[in-house]
Amino acid sequence: MRDFKVKYKRSVLGVLWSILYPLLMMSVMALIFSNMFKFNMEGVNYLVYLMSGLLIFNYFSEATNNCLTSIVGNFSLINKVYMPKYIFPLAKCLFAGINFLFTLIPFFLIILLSGDAAAGTKCTINIWYLYLPYVFLCTLMFTVGIGYILSTVTVFLRDVIYIWGILLTILNYFTPIFYSITILPTYLQSIFKLNPLYLYINTIREIVLFGNGPSLTNVVALFLSGFITMIVGMFIFRKKQDKFVYYI
Amino acid sequence: MIILNNVSMKFNLGVEKDNSLKMIFINLFTPKKKKKKEYFWALKDIDFRINKGDVVGIIGANGAGKSTLLKVVSGVYKPTTGTVEVNGKISPMIELGAGFDQELTARENIYLNGAILGYSKEFLEDKFDEIVEFSELKDFLDVPIKNFSSGMVAKLAFSISTIVDPEVLIVDEILSVGDIKFQEKSKNKMMSMIKGGTTVLYVSHSIASIKELCSKVIWLDHGKIVKMGDAKEICDEYYQKLMK
Repeated sequence: MRDFKVKYKRSVLGVLWSILYPLLMMSVMALIFSNMFKFNMEGVNYLVYLMSGLLIFNYFSEATNNCLTSIVGNFSLINKVYMPKYIFPLAKCLFAGINFLFTLIPFFLIILLSGDAAAGTKCTINIWYLYLPYVFLCTLMFTVGIGYILSTVTVFLRDVIYIWGILLTILNYFTPIFYSITILPTYLQSIFKLNPLYLYINTIREIVLFGNGPSLTNVVALFLSGFITMIVGMFIFRKKQDKFVYYI
Repeated sequence: MIILNNVSMKFNLGVEKDNSLKMIFINLFTPKKKKKKEYFWALKDIDFRINKGDVVGIIGANGAGKSTLLKVVSGVYKPTTGTVEVNGKISPMIELGAGFDQELTARENIYLNGAILGYSKEFLEDKFDEIVEFSELKDFLDVPIKNFSSGMVAKLAFSISTIVDPEVLIVDEILSVGDIKFQEKSKNKMMSMIKGGTTVLYVSHSIASIKELCSKVIWLDHGKIVKMGDAKEICDEYYQKLMK
């Protein structure tokens, strides 16, 4: 059933590109922000700081973008063969997840290689790394939930494809990826902290940069934000899926 | 066993016009004419029961609802009202090659399409040679489907979807694919499936092949069942009505 992978086996370079692309994008961002704009944070390895943000956000943006058209784009299949429709968005999220795992390799390389011990910016591997898969899993659940909602809405309103592109750009700047949340006024900070993506990114940063373990609140908050979003997404998708064939 | 209870299927004809913001915006300013009734009933109060092992043909003019009926039975469409109950694994052959990817080779498509039909990878590996053998496409295994002729695509699709012995086989006008030799072969394959106790729903415009294969016939017209019963009687009656 999951042999959808076959579909993406276009060419060797195709697979290579899907790994290279995020890597190159990240390098560009890293260069621009750390060298041109001289973004820097005292006592923090900025490269790792930036990459941990990009990692999560790029995954979210790639997966949701693919989900958008997952139902509309596979209409010829849905209309002709009986298939459980929930597979399409899920497959997109998991497929983007494979890319995500590949980008972890350079991420950990940078953690190991960069940083200056004298300036206190050297990151060390610690026990809390074991918590990272849990963070990724919650990110996946959250993304799947949003993906289900988006794929459903797109069926009924095609403009969402463009609207989501804009929303993603806005979200990109509203999530503290290349800046620190502390540069914002306090009232804005509390609003920004409601963003689940920031929650995931920040948890990763606390572990990777400072070696701080998660609090119990964090464990619960991560789970709830991911799980509730997923359930809501599935519920909406389930409720509307029988109507899809009329609208495409 | 297939049981349909009062199944009706309503299609909204004008619905696609409203799925962009532009149209919603424009509709805000256009004075509302009387409510358009742009829908029609593709199926209306269909009620029948097919027992295991029956071979049932469906006849009717274009647009009578034959394909819609097959899609309702196979689960692609959910009926607007009524219930559908199907016992057993369905192998739908409604649109041959629906799950094919044009860019991939025949070999890859066998796995892809097999996965879509719900077969496991091990099963497909097991049956791979049999599929290739039946489709007569051994020399073209590594050619992308986009370079195939339509007959070749149909042969491949037929070979994949008949590789299992399904309990319910849904066939839409496909025995006419391929060359004469392949037609004969696929007919034989169907025959052996029928003998094996498979329930078959078969749509065709060829009265001759319906008479040959089916024991019962459902005659559809404008979404309603006109008559249902013995294949020969109904086919003759249908033919006479058409010729009048």
